[in-house]
Amino acid sequence: MLKANAVVVAWLGLTVLAALAGEALPAPRWLLVHLFLLGAVTSAILIWSEHFTVTLLHARPPDARWSAARLGTANAGTSVVLVGATLGPWWMAAAGAAVIVAVVIWHTAVLVRSRRRALPGPFAHVVPWYMAAGAALAAGGLMGGLLIAPATPGTAHERLHAAHAEVNVLGWIGLAVLGTLFTLWPTVLRTRVSPLTRRASRTALRLAVAGLAVSVPGHLLGARWVTVAGLALYAAAAAVALAPLVETLRRRRPTTPAGWTLAAGVAWFEVALVTDLVMVAVRPAAEAARALETLLPLVLAGFVAQTLLGSLGHLLPAIAGGGPARLKENAALLERGWRARFAAANLAVPLLVLPVPGPLRLLGWALLLGSVAAFVVLSLAVVLGPVLADRPAVPAVAGVLVGCVLTAAAVVVAVTGAPAAGPGEGPGTIGTGAAGVSGAARTVEVTLVGMRIRPSTIEAPPGTRLTLRVTNRDGQRHDLRLSTGQSTPMMDPGASADLTLQMPATPVDGWCTVVGHRAAGMTMRIVPQGTSSAAPPTTSADQGAGDQGTGGHDPSAHGRADGGSTTGGTGGNTGTGRLDLTAPRSDGWKPYDATLRPAAGGTEHRIEIHAREAELEVAPGVRQRMWTFNGTVPGPVLRGRVGDVFTVTFVNDAAMGHGLDFHAGALAPDRPMRTIQPGERLTYRFRAEFAGAWLYHCSTMPMSQHIANGMYGAVIVDPPDLGRVDREYVLVQGELYLGEPGGQAQVDKIDQGRPDGWMFNGTAAGYDHAPLEAKAGERVRIWAVAAGPGDGTSLHVVGVPYDTVYKEGAYMLRKGDPGGAQALDLAPAQGGFVELRFPEPGTYPIVDHDMRHAEAGAHGVFRVGAP
Amino acid sequence: MTWWSVVRFLHVLSAALWVGGQLTVSLVVLPLARRLLDPERRAVVLNAVGRRFGVFTAAVFLPVQIGTGVAMAWHKGVTWASLAEPGYGRILVAKLALFCAVMAAAGAHGLASSKGLPGLARTMAVAALVGSVGIIVLAAALPAT
Repeated sequence: MLKANAVVVAWLGLTVLAALAGEALPAPRWLLVHLFLLGAVTSAILIWSEHFTVTLLHARPPDARWSAARLGTANAGTSVVLVGATLGPWWMAAAGAAVIVAVVIWHTAVLVRSRRRALPGPFAHVVPWYMAAGAALAAGGLMGGLLIAPATPGTAHERLHAAHAEVNVLGWIGLAVLGTLFTLWPTVLRTRVSPLTRRASRTALRLAVAGLAVSVPGHLLGARWVTVAGLALYAAAAAVALAPLVETLRRRRPTTPAGWTLAAGVAWFEVALVTDLVMVAVRPAAEAARALETLLPLVLAGFVAQTLLGSLGHLLPAIAGGGPARLKENAALLERGWRARFAAANLAVPLLVLPVPGPLRLLGWALLLGSVAAFVVLSLAVVLGPVLADRPAVPAVAGVLVGCVLTAAAVVVAVTGAPAAGPGEGPGTIGTGAAGVSGAARTVEVTLVGMRIRPSTIEAPPGTRLTLRVTNRDGQRHDLRLSTGQSTPMMDPGASADLTLQMPATPVDGWCTVVGHRAAGMTMRIVPQGTSSAAPPTTSADQGAGDQGTGGHDPSAHGRADGGSTTGGTGGNTGTGRLDLTAPRSDGWKPYDATLRPAAGGTEHRIEIHAREAELEVAPGVRQRMWTFNGTVPGPVLRGRVGDVFTVTFVNDAAMGHGLDFHAGALAPDRPMRTIQPGERLTYRFRAEFAGAWLYHCSTMPMSQHIANGMYGAVIVDPPDLGRVDREYVLVQGELYLGEPGGQAQVDKIDQGRPDGWMFNGTAAGYDHAPLEAKAGERVRIWAVAAGPGDGTSLHVVGVPYDTVYKEGAYMLRKGDPGGAQALDLAPAQGGFVELRFPEPGTYPIVDHDMRHAEAGAHGVFRVGAP
Repeated sequence: MTWWSVVRFLHVLSAALWVGGQLTVSLVVLPLARRLLDPERRAVVLNAVGRRFGVFTAAVFLPVQIGTGVAMAWHKGVTWASLAEPGYGRILVAKLALFCAVMAAAGAHGLASSKGLPGLARTMAVAALVGSVGIIVLAAALPAT
């Protein structure tokens, strides 16, 4: 029993150390919370719920070895969760969570069996509380496992987070504490159990379980008022449970420190419940999790910590044993300076919760940690006293503590970046550093989106004053922390923050500290540039080549923990960046079907378009993450006749905002072309008043990026007198920019108009590998739209002049006219069609006759067979 | 393999002797002395061990460590200003600070032993031991360039 509680005290000590190490840890906040709640508190609940069940019910104690096995397994699971969540991989943490859930279920089953075997007694009502608590942890642990898995989408993540916190704190901890207090409270006050207890206990438990059963699904579904209703039920339960406690208190004032601490803990619990209820009620559901986070110190320090310390303060001397003299000695030891500790802890709570200035908050931390650390030292003396018996252990323990604190302080110094050495120094002092290199200043936009940090690689010469302008463009909160120790605050969606660093001579890693995100690939790397090679004239060419490596060969989105941070920009790829268009295509690659089907019957067309990211083969053997409409580049082709109505339901399934712009319709852009956020949808309805080959594209700024990354497609509106042909094809031409979509390197290339290739229907040279079919003597109509974003086309079929050319709503050449045409010229966003007749079997290339484009992918072939 | 490798070798060897010596005394010699020797002889032996170790520290360890350390820093081009920079500089500065703290603890241990304060002496000895392990942690964290 005593050894088991040493585990609790050890976790408490680790919690204090984690708080002292603070920002030096990979996920400081998460780690602090979970070291305390999952380490110390969960162990304490496992130990004490079993102890109270056995003692109060006079049940036969379960096999001590199995109890130890449960505690050990739970602690192993906790360790695995802590390591897995902070250092990865994520599935390790999820497995640890599963272990903890399994142990708690096992533990609960043991308690149930003990209750069945025991004779009915006045205290049997506590066990259902522990059963409910165990069920709550099973649910909360499951949610924790889901939270850490990288699959959970942004908004669901926030809701799941709120539910996870609530079911664990109010369910697992809250129910266990309330159940225990019914008997522990009178024991601490040294008086008899209140006569109100049994009824109050039964009613309160029913209310509390019902409350949690309502409020947790409310959180999950984002239904604010459901949550509020559940919380109100739970608060009512807490009020009912309070009745016997207050009745006891009336008869007997607390005299011991344990009594006062427990009373304060319960008081903070009530405060936390009421605040929680109000916060959830006045805020939209999506913000609930964030609001609750501010409440966390109140719950952790005010309620949980004081309840734990109060209970241990009362129980530790009792279980330490050793006769009345020793009991008195131990109790006195634990009471040392209790008034100061009690005052410090309770003063700390408001300082940590309220929006007070920095130094005061620091004081709050100091008070709280000092109070807890003092308790840890005192209880270690109690717990370890008999173990170490006559050995002079105290000096050694003190020595270890001193050494650890010194080392921790040194590590903190080592890993923190000095804000004073950053903006505080004037720009003139840069370059006084070791290497004495020039101190140019540079600003890089860094975007946090879709579980990625973009760009994933930044190059800078050592000594550069590098400013990272970090923006969170994701649907959930992120931050960016560098291995130099600098860190942005936790940023809400849309928020920005700057990080400034002097580029050292060694690579700097960056990652998001939200738990699981690093493992899911939110990493980046800043590498020193040009230290060995002769300075290249332009760094961007270098970067382009490196980036192609990243974009081209990145095997999968979640494949590597590093997220490709090591390949880009390191100068390993010294090629010119030219695509190898003769490379074999990947197995299973299917070309975009260029065949254009006749317009569907009816005058109204309905289509659903989903914006989503997809990894597509953009050139032979080269896969690239693209932003798409319905998973293809170009998006779906819409076809109708003049006067038809198109009703488009647009759904944003991507990780960032997107919109739609149909050139074929005439309407005010304000509503239908607006940008919608992930998860939203809009209806875009337009009447095709004019014939032509029209472009549609993403309407979200910067459109150059959205179009360059594949968000475009064609709308074909047939002219009324359209003649009959044997085959119809549609080609949408666009440019190819390799690299992380929206990353700095790619955006530079887009802005400077330096594509890596040109594509018909989303694949450079795709129709070289999968030729378009026709037969000799057939009339073929080829519709074309130039999507850009920067280049048009001059579409030419080698070997066959066109007899019909239709461009931008008008025939420039009709069949039967004496003239012929050799190329269809389209500026970006223009469209049209040509018609031709293949004279004999053969292989006829179709190219953009801007030969730079043709040779870099705007190239395909017609394989014309015998009739 | 240059002369600088030799300097680094001496630095590492001397550190290994000092930290390893402390660990050996604490983990091997002390427990055995407690079990096998009566209090009187134990005090004599441990005092002798402590004195010898102190002499070694002052006469060999400190000169070699400081000499080679300064030389390597000079060779690497470390300046006062560069010590403030995040990364190598800060880790080095933290390591030096911890080294000073450990030396202070070791000195306090010697002083407390000679003044007959066994409790303080032991605290300082253990603190010095844990701190010197911390120095190794930081040394391992120094980017090898």
